[in-house]
Amino acid sequence: MLSRRDEILIGLGVMAMAAALLFLIIPDHIAMPRRVRLPALAPDFWPRIIGWTMLAAGAGLVVKAAMAPVTPDRIVDSLAVSGSEALRMLGLAVTLVIAYVAIPVVGMVWVSMVVFVVLVLMSGGLQHGWSRVVWAVATAVLLPLILYLFFYKVAGVAIPQGRFVRLP
Amino acid sequence: MTFWEALAAGFALVAQWESLFFLSLGIGIGVIAGAIPGMSATMAVALTLPFTFALQPVFGILLLLGVYKGGIFGGSIPAILIKTPGTPASSATALDGYPLAEQGKAGKALSMALYASCIADFVSNIALIVFAAWLAAFALNFGPPEMFTLIVFSLTIIAGVSGDSLLKGIVAATLGLLLATIGLDFVVGTERLTFGSIELRGGLNFIAVLIGLFALPEIIAYMRNPRERDGSVRGLGHSGLTMAEFRGSLKSIFRGSAIGVFMGAIPGIGAAPSAFLSYSEARRASPNRDNFGKGELEGVAAAEAGNNGVAGATLIPLLSLGIPGDVITAIIIGAFMIHNLTPGPLLFQNNADIVYALFIGLIASSVLLLVIGSVAIRAFRYIADVPSNLLFPAVLVLCIFGVFAINNSVFDVAVMLVMGVVGYVMLLFRFPAAPFLIAFILGPLLENNFRQALLMSRGSLDIFIRGPITIIFWCLTVISVVFIVRSTLAAARIQRQARRRPKTQPGSQG
Repeated sequence: MLSRRDEILIGLGVMAMAAALLFLIIPDHIAMPRRVRLPALAPDFWPRIIGWTMLAAGAGLVVKAAMAPVTPDRIVDSLAVSGSEALRMLGLAVTLVIAYVAIPVVGMVWVSMVVFVVLVLMSGGLQHGWSRVVWAVATAVLLPLILYLFFYKVAGVAIPQGRFVRLP
Repeated sequence: MTFWEALAAGFALVAQWESLFFLSLGIGIGVIAGAIPGMSATMAVALTLPFTFALQPVFGILLLLGVYKGGIFGGSIPAILIKTPGTPASSATALDGYPLAEQGKAGKALSMALYASCIADFVSNIALIVFAAWLAAFALNFGPPEMFTLIVFSLTIIAGVSGDSLLKGIVAATLGLLLATIGLDFVVGTERLTFGSIELRGGLNFIAVLIGLFALPEIIAYMRNPRERDGSVRGLGHSGLTMAEFRGSLKSIFRGSAIGVFMGAIPGIGAAPSAFLSYSEARRASPNRDNFGKGELEGVAAAEAGNNGVAGATLIPLLSLGIPGDVITAIIIGAFMIHNLTPGPLLFQNNADIVYALFIGLIASSVLLLVIGSVAIRAFRYIADVPSNLLFPAVLVLCIFGVFAINNSVFDVAVMLVMGVVGYVMLLFRFPAAPFLIAFILGPLLENNFRQALLMSRGSLDIFIRGPITIIFWCLTVISVVFIVRSTLAAARIQRQARRRPKTQPGSQG
């Protein structure tokens, strides 16, 4: 259970998102035809309804949280992120962004192998002894190769091969 | 195609060895995934989905249905052996299953869970066969206004999958509806929320969205706080289930199956309430009611029957109306979409052979589950030992390959990653993901049918109350909303009272 303060902030966040949708995103990013036969057939009709519903639900969240009694500290789940947690999440984000950019250049199989090993190391893979590391490396190599064989050879999917080392 | 011709064609499809192979494979994958703490049947179905597009439609869908059925049973294995339910619905099984395991009777509990699951699954499949075709024939009369009112009613299922907060469920659903509007407008052809991206003109890929939403948040949560699972695995014990024990629970199994069928056929209720209702009914009616919660085999049987009785019945609204009854059936819609099949009344007309092949395959799945489930029970110790820091990177690699393979698109991988972040934020802020996905699927249907109906009526809203079917759906929607509001207010009142109690007690004593 989250604290009352967090619930109010979440509700306000939802309201801000809905307001941005209604007053910035929809007017700028939904192309309207010159003439619309019926307002209900206009391209922005549903997105506006969705935006107003979201705004109302966000306001409901704020009111509900404000009216609720204060949650005792012992049952409140904290949203705080510790330093090591933030570092690991940042590491994961950076790894995934680099992987996404590298897939067309290096190839999906090789990128997947590296991502696998990086994730094992980031989650403390070395703490569980060398046998776990051997398993990790073996899985990191074999799993992408098996998936490549299935998708490329069986399903006929053109798995990105990259510019450097191409698989048969 | 007559009923008998369709049945014969369906039988011919299932009689191929590949059908039984993929069904067995699916059950095996499902049982293993359900049994691994941290994985879930939902995640397993989502991850298996991309692999089905290389297969013939019937093989692919049987594979997924196998994963679904296996996953539901698989969740009961860790519930009994390590008190960690693999699925929310298995929580009811843990109530008596784990005490039995502590008494050295885990083998008995697991055997009872397996037999109850298979019987309930069989009953549920029969209900599906009897009711789906009938409902589909009725739904053939539906035009856009009827479909619109049906979908409005179906959106009330969001309340059933919203968990603790209906408002958060509504916010999640609006987000799903909003993302479903991305792409070209189908009436005037202009761009909506594409931000100039050519890739977004076709809308967001459904499979990228669902894998991002259901698989990646678990990986992010694990990476944030990587911990090995704790809790020791109980031994199976040496005592087997006797015929007398099995006979003693039969009544509860059939009652639980009936409860499961009834609750599964109503979209949005899901397996967990069914399992708990079946459990409480069994306790109420049993002569051993005092032993419930302390290690009663009948309790395990009732919970598992209620849980598995839902599996076939949730396919009734899916196949006959195209409305997903829960999250997993929402994902299974993806398999139909991959093969250009649209679940709904026309499926029974245009692809009756596939529908009947699925029905026959589902009946076979109950028997296969019995065989594969008994092997999985014995192999659980090895399944549970899969280290998390190998499991989650492997899931990520599966996600990347699987999502790319759908459209040969690296952009879809980006969509999946972004949806993973959205899913994790939702998880963190306690927003349920199920309403998002269901709204994402139903959103385009809702909008298209609304606009088609208005085009038919040249703008008159009277078309939405044009006949008894639309009026019935409006009435059902109103009843459903009133029920939801009342139950939400009642739950809030109980919660408020529970919070106040610890404060008032000391005062009253003093």
